[in-house]
Amino acid sequence: MSQVRGSQLQTSNFKLSMLCFLLFTFCSSCSSKPDSKPSESSTKFQQYIIQGEQLYLKNCSNCHQKTGTGLGLLYPPLNKSDFMDNHFEEVICLMKNGKEGELIVNGKSFNKQMKGISTLTDLEIAEIATYIFNTWEHQRGLVDVQETSRILSHCDSASLSSKH
Amino acid sequence: MIKDLRFKATCFQFLAFSFLLSSCIQKKEIPLPILGEREVVGSDTVYHTIGDFKFVDQDSAEVTGDTFKDKIYVADFFFTSCRTICPIMKTQMLRVYDSIQNEHDVLLLSHSIDPEFDTVGLLHDFAERLGVKSDKWHFVTGKKEDIYKIAQTSYFATALEDKTEPDGFIHTGAFLLIDKKKRIRGKYDGTKEEDVNRLLADIARLKMEDGK
Repeated sequence: MSQVRGSQLQTSNFKLSMLCFLLFTFCSSCSSKPDSKPSESSTKFQQYIIQGEQLYLKNCSNCHQKTGTGLGLLYPPLNKSDFMDNHFEEVICLMKNGKEGELIVNGKSFNKQMKGISTLTDLEIAEIATYIFNTWEHQRGLVDVQETSRILSHCDSASLSSKH
Repeated sequence: MIKDLRFKATCFQFLAFSFLLSSCIQKKEIPLPILGEREVVGSDTVYHTIGDFKFVDQDSAEVTGDTFKDKIYVADFFFTSCRTICPIMKTQMLRVYDSIQNEHDVLLLSHSIDPEFDTVGLLHDFAERLGVKSDKWHFVTGKKEDIYKIAQTSYFATALEDKTEPDGFIHTGAFLLIDKKKRIRGKYDGTKEEDVNRLLADIARLKMEDGK
């Protein structure tokens, strides 16, 4: 009886160590993700991040906070946000065009109009996006200006369709 | 045995010394300044005080000078649609709120300088979303000229409408500390964390002063 239990214990120990190993490799592959970006974009990526941080501090952090935590139910968080995870293109658009109406972030309801900053250029939006999507808990990689311009050119129709 | 005695003696010396030191420090503590113009009438000095006012808060309740009778309070000027300094001020004021939550004689008063837009309903929603209680932190709205006037003449704070500004208003990010006699005892930059730390320390000092 005790032998059986012993071998069960051994298998569960083995499973546990396997799990740990898998977790470890998974985690380490995650953390090395930004480094494993294509080399052609790594300098560009760094430039975008640095510029993006400055632009974020100037245009966004008053409300969303330097740490991305947001404030109460007034300003939604960015550091951990299922809305950002699931609505990438909408996030790009709302920086420029603003956002009205209810917004559910991490299960909480936010409903305060955010005015867009129409003076931001496509490049600046790409830089901010690269910064916020690669800081805190996000690791999306470079959001370049071509992609941003393409998304921004479709914004109006997207926001119209969401109203209907 | 002797060692033990010696140890006790050193302890005693240390305690006596620290007692002396702390009493020295306490004596050196100077009271907070009283800001604004003062007049000497006979043998009395008359200080600048906050004038009477009547506004409405986020619960539609009337807020007047009497609301702050025998209370220390911190006042500021803001508007809910402001994206520039107000959110930083509110982040900092929330720190003040957290630290005075259980102090029965300290309150907060935020005036909207865009009272036509910031209705009672909007202020109610704002306070609720910030997660603060209305008996501790009053968000008030009222006649625009009354708010601008009290800002300038009582609190020495700037509040102006200016369409050329990004959000349409010019105003200071000042937090003003008012004592139980309605006198201004400190002015702080509500957008700077270190300055708000000073405010927190000064609230404690003011409470000590009242305790005497």
